[in-house]
Amino acid sequence: MGLTGKRSEKGPVCWRKRVKSVYMRLRQLKRFRRADEIKSMFNSNRQKILQRTDILNQEWKTRRIQPVRIMTSVSSLRGTRECTVDSGFSEFSSQVIPLKTLNAVASIPVMYSWSPLQQNFMVEDETVLHNIPYMGDEILDQDGTFIEELIKNYDGKVHGDRECGFINDEIFVELVTALNQHSDNEDEEEDQHDTECSKKIPSDKIFEAISSVFPDKGSPEELKEKYKELTEQKLPGKLPPECTPNIDGPNARSVQREQSLHSFHTLFCRRCFKYDCFLHPFHATPNTYKCKNTESLTDSKPCGHNCYMYLIQESSASLVPERAKTPSKRVGGRRRGRVANSSGGSRPSTPTVSAETKDTDSDREAGGGDVNDKDEEDKKDETTNSSESNSCWQTPVKLKVNSEPAEHAEWSGADASLFRVLIGTYYDNFCAIARLIGSKTCRQVYEFRVKESSIIARAPVDDVDTPPRKKKRKHRLWATYCRKIQLKKDGSSNHVYNYQPCDHPRRPCDSSCPCVTAQNFCEKFCQCSSECQNRFPGCRCKAQCNTKQCPCYLAVRECDPDLCLTCGAAEHWDSKNVSCKNCSIQRGAKKHLLMAPSDVAGWGIFIKEPVQKNEFISEYCGEIISQDEADRRGKVYDKYMCSFLFNLNNDFVVDATRKGNKIRFANHSVNPNCYAKVMMVNGDHRIGIFAKRAMHTGEELFFDYRYSQADALKYVGIEREMEIP
Amino acid sequence: PSPVVAMASVKKPKMEEIQADHELFLQAFESEYVLSAPIFLHRSLTYMPLRNPRLNAKRKMYKVDEMLLKVEKMKGDQESHSLSSHLQLTFTGFFHKIEKPSVNSENEQNSVSLEVLLVKVCHKKRKDVSCPVKQVPTGKKQVPLNPDCSQAKPAAFPSLLVSSNEFEPNNSHMVKSYSLLFRVSRPGRRHLSGEPNGNIDVLGELPNRKTRNALRGDGETTFIAQMTVFDKNRRLQLLDGEYEVSMQEVEECPVNKKRATWETILDGKRLPPFETLSQGPTLQFTLRWTGDVGSKSTAPVAKPLTTRNSDAGATESRPSGPRPAPLAVKDSISTNIQTRKEQILVEPRQKLRVFYQFLYNNNSRQQTEARDDLHCPWCTLNCRRLYSLLKHLKLSHSRFIFSYVPHPKGARIDVSVNECYDGSYVGNPQDIHSQPGFAFSRNGPVKRTAVTHVLVCRPKRSKPSLSEFLDSEEGEVEQQRTYISGHNRLYFHSDSCMPLRPQEMEVDSEDERDPDWLREKTVTQIEEFMDVNEGEKEVMKLWNLHVMKHGFIADNQMNQACLLFVEKCGAQIAHRNLCRNFLLHMVSMHDFNLVSIGTIDKAMARLKEIQGAPRVEDNSIDGHTEAQKHSKCQNLLRSAPSD
Repeated sequence: MGLTGKRSEKGPVCWRKRVKSVYMRLRQLKRFRRADEIKSMFNSNRQKILQRTDILNQEWKTRRIQPVRIMTSVSSLRGTRECTVDSGFSEFSSQVIPLKTLNAVASIPVMYSWSPLQQNFMVEDETVLHNIPYMGDEILDQDGTFIEELIKNYDGKVHGDRECGFINDEIFVELVTALNQHSDNEDEEEDQHDTECSKKIPSDKIFEAISSVFPDKGSPEELKEKYKELTEQKLPGKLPPECTPNIDGPNARSVQREQSLHSFHTLFCRRCFKYDCFLHPFHATPNTYKCKNTESLTDSKPCGHNCYMYLIQESSASLVPERAKTPSKRVGGRRRGRVANSSGGSRPSTPTVSAETKDTDSDREAGGGDVNDKDEEDKKDETTNSSESNSCWQTPVKLKVNSEPAEHAEWSGADASLFRVLIGTYYDNFCAIARLIGSKTCRQVYEFRVKESSIIARAPVDDVDTPPRKKKRKHRLWATYCRKIQLKKDGSSNHVYNYQPCDHPRRPCDSSCPCVTAQNFCEKFCQCSSECQNRFPGCRCKAQCNTKQCPCYLAVRECDPDLCLTCGAAEHWDSKNVSCKNCSIQRGAKKHLLMAPSDVAGWGIFIKEPVQKNEFISEYCGEIISQDEADRRGKVYDKYMCSFLFNLNNDFVVDATRKGNKIRFANHSVNPNCYAKVMMVNGDHRIGIFAKRAMHTGEELFFDYRYSQADALKYVGIEREMEIP
Repeated sequence: PSPVVAMASVKKPKMEEIQADHELFLQAFESEYVLSAPIFLHRSLTYMPLRNPRLNAKRKMYKVDEMLLKVEKMKGDQESHSLSSHLQLTFTGFFHKIEKPSVNSENEQNSVSLEVLLVKVCHKKRKDVSCPVKQVPTGKKQVPLNPDCSQAKPAAFPSLLVSSNEFEPNNSHMVKSYSLLFRVSRPGRRHLSGEPNGNIDVLGELPNRKTRNALRGDGETTFIAQMTVFDKNRRLQLLDGEYEVSMQEVEECPVNKKRATWETILDGKRLPPFETLSQGPTLQFTLRWTGDVGSKSTAPVAKPLTTRNSDAGATESRPSGPRPAPLAVKDSISTNIQTRKEQILVEPRQKLRVFYQFLYNNNSRQQTEARDDLHCPWCTLNCRRLYSLLKHLKLSHSRFIFSYVPHPKGARIDVSVNECYDGSYVGNPQDIHSQPGFAFSRNGPVKRTAVTHVLVCRPKRSKPSLSEFLDSEEGEVEQQRTYISGHNRLYFHSDSCMPLRPQEMEVDSEDERDPDWLREKTVTQIEEFMDVNEGEKEVMKLWNLHVMKHGFIADNQMNQACLLFVEKCGAQIAHRNLCRNFLLHMVSMHDFNLVSIGTIDKAMARLKEIQGAPRVEDNSIDGHTEAQKHSKCQNLLRSAPSD
């Protein structure tokens, strides 16, 4: 220890130097690697382009194209101009040829590249300024402070600006290993003690030195922990420990139901029907959803000669399986990280929230500690299962190990996992489970069930506190909903907040419910009961839902195909002929638009076919960004005098600059032929562009930016007052 | 007729000023000059009634029998007409200017003697070597030499009558053609003629054009000219009108009878140059076909006198057939137009002068160009009436604003550049593609997309009135707007900014629900998860692509969506060994309360079916396509370049 003390006097300086030099070397290596990657990527892209141009060229070669000789251009009427070539030598006569001038071709307006979208796309706030906008030297010279202010908005962080202090996990690990080799050498020279230990985990002095070089990265202890974490992860094969092995793969393990379904449950967006969707950062897990289906789960008839039912009938002894707690190992959301091969910093455009926030969030949703919420969950399970499981649980299923010699079956990990998954859905319908597993007979399944009974959770027989379902629900609601909408409308200020499905188990949607406070209706995505007072009941129109007679139209909502069952919003999925005219945005029933240079400014968008008044034209799509982000981006757009920002609600803004659809080219006019309307479409606010008057073929589309951009919601209010039929 | 350009500003501008002004003028109008008017079939335009050769009003009443009636009536007419009508020739004068006429004025005679002969060319008989020609003298008159047109009274002019009996078929010889031979003899010695042309020219021109000739000297000079009355096909060549005939000087010897035949004269291959009229001497006369001597013109004079019945229909239908020589008849009125006369809005018959006043450079300067006909100065279309001209200018040349100002001598049209002209293409949208990318790519016939045009349109039209072209303050914007609605511009692809070709109009190529980049994005996004195993990832990717492709929006679509998923991707799921993962996905969907247990059963049953099927036909074509699909999918799943 004395030696260490001695070293610590001059050691840190030396180590610091070493850290710095190794760090610089690694950085340089990384830069080279990156440059190589870029090169190879460029070359492969180049190759792709060449292939595509080859295809195009082939196509052109098959066509016969010759220049057309224009007979006489008009310009020849006005005196012929000539080109003369004088050689300067007398022996060569000067050559004269009539000058033919080509007519000037007007250049097309400027367009910055953008990606096409037909649905909004949520992106995170940008924490670094990705590029310093260039808008001509004059503007920069005039107003040098603009860029400074801009950078200040991002706390001085500019993309690619990583002169020092930049360190990520990958570099950190590499740094430690590189330094560790140094320390090994040193150790061998100086003394032999602690060698075993330093083989495994580098000595503290390395972390001390790194910590002193990069003070913002935490204390030596934190760094050491981090290093352990990072290296451990790499050791046990390719998959991180919390990853379930592929159930179809050779390494499938026998795991619990929750574990098997964990990825599917946590990544599925119940609103978009997609995994890891582009629009909703928070996905609710299904175990908190209520099961409403009341399907009969058991086949009443035996599936064959060897069906387990014969076994049951034979035996009279009953064995009610005990209920046991399900150990749930995996909690927390999915973590997205870099795949080992890919390089670079964190993904800036990930639409979902970062791993940390997501984890915590779904922790909360799924019940942070397993133990605390487990009972809760189980109870929930009980309640949810109670109603539909009545039928199957009322016929008492007697579980008993058969006296006959059991068919001995090998249960692989995959089969066992699958069984546990299916038992949670099919309960005691062993025939069906056997059919789905495929490799086992129902008798084998039944026997396995008996063996497993000690650890399988099952729904209890008793109804706890869920009141029996009543049938009067709809009528009661219909009596009140109109008044409710009216109330909402009158009391509404100009603020409309984004909708988030509410989730407050065992509490009704009262003043503490986020939906109620945000003055939103509860939607089908909410965790509250379907009888919730705050739910929007949908319409029962038989007409086109394009007047205020329709409660959906009145509430500036599109008809919900799961609520409005009479108006046609839930029919004719494939055809464009839907009787309900209030579901155009969700169905994407946009008009064909054509782009051409505008008669007013820049590009314009033109309608291909004539439209009627109030007909839906297109949705205004783009990136969904927070209001703060919109403020930051807006500063740049204002400088460019070109903005595609569109206020969606109090929380979010649609920005069609980078991603959008053709309607983004519609220009502003004080006397427009279109109007914009922010509508609630199945839980999302979306912007619809509608025809303000009848339009002819080929008309350019305009709408009034002032309403939409400054205050979209005020605009909606005005529209309401204007009594549009 | 060449335009006379006159500066309106009275001040004498300096040379530079003129040039600068000229530059400004060009700046304002030059760019606009390069333009093409849309091509119309002018005779079908309602505002150009004079260009419409036929009448539609009678069509409704038309009956087939009328044809017979018409022919019979015509025959009768013709007979009575042929008996009673005369060809009346009134001679205005013989114009043969000598240089400096004022100096020699006392020596000049003020009249020349004119002899008119009717030349009948008969059909050859068997023995004849050439066609027999008969010359029938019809009279001699003294015709004023170089009279002043403006002073002379029409009544004072000498006139001649040729009885139409002369044109009746002759018994001995079938007459092939009739022509008039004018012979003018002028006293005084002939000295010089710069006319090497041996042909006799039959040309008509405007009478007010003075002719000049360098002919001096004395002695008797003879000039002759011949005009066809009826040609070989018995078509009438001489209609009512004023004529100016170029005369040809002849040698002392009289015209050889044999050489003076119709054929001989016209067989000359070389067409007389236009200049002959201005150089040679001319004879001016008015020709009328009259019913009685001294009476007014009989209306349908221009009908040919048919002698051969077999030919009647054909000759009737082609009143203005090909003429043997260019013959410009001033103010000639065709039969149709004459009958139409009543319907046309009466316009001043006298010559209209149209002044074009170009306004440019803040309306402060102007240049006036006067034309004395109703041709459009931009596309030289003869509009024939002022109303038609103005309408044409306004509709076809919308780059300019035209406003009509009444003028004592006719009309003034103010021309200014239309600042509101939108510059988009006006005309056939198919021709748009001769713009940027397509300019030189068309060679010969190309396949075109079908274009539907409204062929018949009968909107309410107000009575044509010149007042609509007057400069009015209100509604001016409306006037300057393009009249044609529809796709009259070139569209571009929104992704590549390439011009949209006509065959691409119908497909909305840029509005896919699942654009390439988004498909790739969802795949890479799922690929980036570290704690999701590869089986789960594959099923999730397939499912996401499936949902994106079909755009499901409702919970109650999910049962169907899952079954469709098996249908579409079942083979892949089976092939890539993802069946259990698929089952997990289905169970998860059920946990979310989106699908029923029945759907899980159905989907799995179908998957088993599919799983069994391709194994059997693994080596068949199906298996092959399956493999392709697989590799395609792998391509798709390849992760995108990292940033």
